[in-house]
Amino acid sequence: MSAPTTAPVRERTEQQDEVVEADVPWVVIVWNDPINLMSYVTFVFQKLFGYSKEKATKLMMDVHTKGRAVVSSGPREKAEFDVSRLHAHGLWATMQKDR
Amino acid sequence: MARPFKRHGRRVRVTLSDEEAGLLRTLPEQLKSVLDEGEADPANDRLFPPAYDDLAEAEAAAEYRRLMQDELVATKLAAIDTVRASLDKGTAKGGRWTAELDEDEALAWLGVLNDVRLTLGVRLDVTDDLDGEADIDPADPKAPGFRLLYYLGWLEEHLLAELKP
Repeated sequence: MSAPTTAPVRERTEQQDEVVEADVPWVVIVWNDPINLMSYVTFVFQKLFGYSKEKATKLMMDVHTKGRAVVSSGPREKAEFDVSRLHAHGLWATMQKDR
Repeated sequence: MARPFKRHGRRVRVTLSDEEAGLLRTLPEQLKSVLDEGEADPANDRLFPPAYDDLAEAEAAAEYRRLMQDELVATKLAAIDTVRASLDKGTAKGGRWTAELDEDEALAWLGVLNDVRLTLGVRLDVTDDLDGEADIDPADPKAPGFRLLYYLGWLEEHLLAELKP
């Protein structure tokens, strides 16, 4: 990306803001709920994220015992996509900025 | 008693009593009614939860809803149709109903079973992890609902055991 040589300062700041927004990492959280079966949650983690059964089971147990677990992270668009897939499978998922 | 689901190669065989098959035939329509109600039915708050819990992201949350809601509903309606069609097939003989499901049908069954359980959970106001089935008080007016919830959970466990993620 070529830098403008005589662009006003405000323009460069807006470009910088766009870059910062695209880079902000988001985390996708799955929350415990009283209905979903442990075996079902494990299955969904394997199916959607390609996790091994061991990793999926560990994540599920984190959700179950700690109330929540981070299951994926990335830019906003990826996080929204992951959230929508989790919602399509009946899991309670939200996304937050990774602090 | 045969297992309700058994994988054979790429297919899953379903074996249910006539009574069980009759019960399952009522579920796709019930779930469709829930979806048709939209915001009027609190079960949809659970089937379509918000994507953001940060109030500062209200605009993004509304945008997510605007873009995703119809697609999510359509996916669920398609699964309902698939399950309903598969329940219309199969063979009833000697008090048993059997059918063969392909991978897509089996996943549709999983989705519908799960969505019905979630809806039941809202109806029954389930907020804590479930106690065992033995703890259901037969005098409780919610008892039939809880028995159905446990039965569908049992079915779902058996189906999951035959599926490959």
